Formats: sequence, C-alpha cells, structure tokens
Amino acid sequence: MARLANLETEYPVLDSTVRNFCASHGIFSVEDFLIHDLYMLAAFAEQNNSSERLKEGIAQVLSIIDDMHQPWLNGMELLEDAKRNKHVFPTGIQGIDLLLGGGIRVGQLTELVGPSSSGKTQVCLRTASNVARNHMVLYLDTGNSFSPQRIAYFLGKTINPSSAQAKNQFLQKVMSNISCHSVFDIFAMFDVLHQLESYLRCQDGRGGCQMRLLIVDSISSLISPLLGSSSTQGRALMTSTGYLLKKLAHQHNLAVLIINHTVGGEGGYSKPALGDSWKCIPHSRLFLSCDRGSNNYNVSILRHPSMASGKAARPSCRGDTVSSSHGPYQPSG
Amino acid sequence: MGSHAKAWLVEDESAREMLDRVLTERPFLLLPPLHRVPLRVGNVVELVGPSSSSKTHILIQAAITCILPKLWKGVSYGGLGHSAMFIDLDCRFDVLRFSELLNHRIMEAANGSSSKVGCHQKDSEAQFERMKPYNEELFALCMKRFLYIRCYDSSEFLATLKTLHYRLQKEREVHGVNVHLLLIDSIGAFHWVDRGSSSFPLEYDNRKSWHLQNVSEAVVQEIRRLLLVHPMLVMATKAVVLGNKYSTNELTWNYRKWSAVDNPYSRNITSSDQQLPYREYMPAAWQSFVTHRILVRATDDDLVNGEHQNNSIYLLKWLLPPLNSLDKFTVRDTGVFILS
Repeated sequence: MARLANLETEYPVLDSTVRNFCASHGIFSVEDFLIHDLYMLAAFAEQNNSSERLKEGIAQVLSIIDDMHQPWLNGMELLEDAKRNKHVFPTGIQGIDLLLGGGIRVGQLTELVGPSSSGKTQVCLRTASNVARNHMVLYLDTGNSFSPQRIAYFLGKTINPSSAQAKNQFLQKVMSNISCHSVFDIFAMFDVLHQLESYLRCQDGRGGCQMRLLIVDSISSLISPLLGSSSTQGRALMTSTGYLLKKLAHQHNLAVLIINHTVGGEGGYSKPALGDSWKCIPHSRLFLSCDRGSNNYNVSILRHPSMASGKAARPSCRGDTVSSSHGPYQPSG
Repeated sequence: MGSHAKAWLVEDESAREMLDRVLTERPFLLLPPLHRVPLRVGNVVELVGPSSSSKTHILIQAAITCILPKLWKGVSYGGLGHSAMFIDLDCRFDVLRFSELLNHRIMEAANGSSSKVGCHQKDSEAQFERMKPYNEELFALCMKRFLYIRCYDSSEFLATLKTLHYRLQKEREVHGVNVHLLLIDSIGAFHWVDRGSSSFPLEYDNRKSWHLQNVSEAVVQEIRRLLLVHPMLVMATKAVVLGNKYSTNELTWNYRKWSAVDNPYSRNITSSDQQLPYREYMPAAWQSFVTHRILVRATDDDLVNGEHQNNSIYLLKWLLPPLNSLDKFTVRDTGVFILS
C-alpha cells in the first residue's frame, strides 16, 4: 500500500506538514486512512495551526481513495454490459447445456463436482474444444489429465470430411488456441493467474482472438491440502483464489470452469469438497455422477442463479424441459 | 431577553402533526416475507442463512419494491419510487435475472390493473401490446434507480463506504433522487481473508493493524455516519452454517434442534434457550449494530405448482426481535409468497 511519503511527488499537497500530522495519529499509508475515522481527523485538523493545508491533504487522500474502488453502475449500464459481453458458451454436451440454460456463462464461475471418473475432465476437454474454435482457452491442469488426443478426437467428429490438409490446418488452428499449464500448488496458480491478468489487461480492446475460457482442473487438489482443522490461512487463500477468479471472469469477460471432487458426507452420501466456505464462491454448481453398473452418467444442479433451490437431484422429469434440475448426459457423445 | 426565552416555548407543530410528517416521509416498510415486523429507515436488518436459502432473492425483491414507483401512468405498482444501492461483496449478482424479475413485477402490476377493469382475453392482449412502450420506459426508469457496485476485498469495501456520502450528495443534487435502501450481499464475505491477513508487527505503536476487528469497526462506523445524513434502511445477508447433530466440528457449537422450534405453540423458549442454531462469526461491533435479525433456510419440501414448476419452500424465523413463529414462504418470479 502506498506510503504517504511516496505519494508526495504525484500529489504535492501531501507535504511533510500533512504527513507529520497523520503520523501523529498513526497513519502512514493510504490503507491506514481506510480504517481510521476521517471525520475525527478533520476535527483534529481544525484545531491545528495549518488547518487549511491539512484539510486539503485529507481531501486529496479522499480523492485517491475514490479511485480505489470499482465504479458505481446503474442497472441499465449493468444490463448493457451483460448483453454485450456476457455471452453463453455451449459445452457441446446436450444434457449439461440444457440444465445450464444454454451453456456456461461468461463472467461467472461454473463448478463441476463429482466423484472420480464421473466425466468431469471429459466435460472440460469437450468445452475447451468447443470454445477454442473461435476463442482462446487457458487450461490449468493439476493432475496431468489434459489430453490433446481427446481434443483432436472431439474436433475430428464435428468437421466435415474434406481434404486431409484442410482438416489438419483446422486442427492446428484450434489446438493453438488452447494453452495448457501444469500447476501443482496454489502459489503457482496465483502466479499464472496474475500473469494472465496482466496479459488480459493489454489484450482487452484489441481485436482478434480473445481469451474467453479458463479451466481449472482441478481446484480441489490445490486447495484441499491447505484446509486443516484450525488453520485460517487455508481458508483465506481459498477465498482469495475465488475472488481472483471472479475478478478475472467479470472484468476480462472470461467463462471460468472449475473442477471439484467429492468427500464423504453425513449419512454416507458424498458432498462437494472444500467445505461450506467454498459454497459462496461459484455462481453455478453441477453434480456429475456415474452409475458404474449401467454406465449411465447423470448431472444435477446444486446451484444456479435462476433457480431458487438448494437441493440436489429431484425426481427427474424427462430432460426435455429446462426446469428439470436433473438429467442424463453423455460426456463422450 | 424575556421575549427570546418565550420564543423557545412556542410550539412548531403538535405531536400529531409531527407523526403525520414523519410517517409520510419515512414510511414503514412491510416487505414480504419480512412482513411481521415493520421496518423503517435507520434499521439494520441481517438475513442469516446457509448457502442457497434465497437470502439474495429477498434482497433483490426488496430492491425492486423500492425502485418501482407508487403510481405511474395510472397504474399502481405499490413501490416506493426511491433509489436502492446494492453493494455486492459476494460478486455473484446476476443482472439478467434481476431484469427478468423486474419485468415480471411490472407486467403483473399492469395486468392486475387491467384485469380489474374486466377485459376480455383479446382486449387484455391488445392492451399488453399497447402498454409495451410504457413498460419499457418504466423499466428503464427503474433500472436507472438501481445503483450497483462490487467489491473484491475489504479495502475496496471501505473505500466505497468512505466515499459514499459525497456520491449520495451528488446523486441528490443532480438527479434529485433519494436513496432509501442500502443492500449488502454478503457482509461476512471477507471474513476469512481479513482473519488471515494478520498482524505483522507494525513499527509504530499507534498504528492500527489491518485485522478483522478494526476493519469491522471501521465498516460499522462508516455506515453509522452515513445513516445520520442519509437515512436509509440497511439490509445485509450473512452466510452461516447451521448446526446439526451430525456436526463433527471440534468447536463446541451452541445449537438448538429445529424440531423443537417447529411447534409454534411450544412454550419452551426461556431465556436460557437463547442459543443460536448457528455459530456467530461476525465481530461484536457488527453484531451490536444489527437491529433486526432473521434466519432463513430451505426445506426439503416442494410446492408442486403445475407439471414442471417445482418451487422450494423456505422457512423463516425472526431472531431479533425474537418471535415465536415460523413462516413458510416460496419464491417465484413475481415475488415472494407467504404460505403460512
């Protein structure tokens, strides 16, 4: 946080008189101003000899503080931004797209929860192959599960059999839109995300192929090791990760897809990992499951902005109505 | 001197006149499902509940009630006609959903008034088409009264609060609108981050460190100051985890089983029973600032409403002031509906 001394060159009002006055009240940086009572400070400034100077200084700091928060928007501006930028990307899997009302939405975090081998990575690869046709994709892989062959397979199924060379060119183009990074701990992920943030800040506004999808497979393997029983740092890191992802999603118009695994819950059924503090982070949560015997894959909604419901699967109506919160899906279909 | 002193004793208005004036300028709000206790500006209402218990939906419906006008082009919408501010600390607000709900409320009010006149089906459809440009105009008017900001951490939240006074003054001067409602979703969002962000030893003694207590006190102080100059109703959501008998958390939780509370006629609520069914984690500064507290949660029941519509049923309980009743309500696009 900027120390007041360093701000003097940019804002000459914050000279040594102002700084000494602030130091006498225990304020050394702009951050300190945030937790201090500015009205009391102004009252003290009033009684001081150089009260005009001090009050100018406080006014200057207030205008610096005014730049520290996001801009206020009204409903119409928000709506315009949503309609213009916050599109929906179909995953390519019919059952999931139906439940999500079209697909995953830009600006939101969609979480896929499921036990092992329930098709979560397949859904990610499928979505990546879909979005990569026209946009760039960043795939953060924590368990070496990224498979270029699978992506090529999904792409191969959907293009018309033209010449082998054209097919190859198409594959090259789409595959080059996908960046895959391996991250094995949370700090490496923070690193990548901060680099991504700087990259996107330069990219936004320029034309051409923009990044529109970020996949983290899986976030639980990065965060679970941090969540001990008495540590607050783990939860603080988890919350910070969530907010960084939300910031990237909203400000740079990315759709974020995150994978979470399950742990045993009460009564023997499985529940999403990462605990209750994580529940407030994703916008939408889908629960994937696979019935091994019949090889039936099922997906149900745990949370969605348009659903005022907190439950898992309901007795299924056949998946032709959008309001059903449960349905079959084919990860490789 | 004597005449000056006497001038002090001349009355400005009688008590009745004052009551009339205050009640028109600062009306009581009865927002479903919080209809049991009338709310006024200056109240700080906390909606407590586990994740996905419709807390944000209640806030949104309150905002829509606030921004809709009372009467517009002959149709009564039953709103307040004031601005509402939404501070999104959860960063999960969905504006498309919000605009859907606003449209539903506008159309319902418009249809409601036309059906009172006794139109036939065709007439009401034609009237709907005729009303469309008015509805769009009203929609734009209402959306402009909804002010939104998101904060990604506590510094942004505090920066927002500190500069809010000047912004509100500017709004008042430029647009002539008063903000009546301040919504915060959700107040405990940065709890873990602030707790974790610790106390590095600071070099100077009188410097306040950035930890949970100080941040919370600063937030409460700023909102208090704001309420003095811009009287508003403050509503905040807070996500908690409800205790249950299977909880294996090593912290001892004070909890009370829901079953004991389900019987609204039970007289078992004694002063020793003032244990909360959840663990309170907000610092004391915030807890003492709250004037009204409500607990909501989802039940496993559904209200079957036609073939494909299954609406969840929610339970609501007033914790402050403590009322001995449980309300059931359901949530639909046109608002919140009390079931019992």
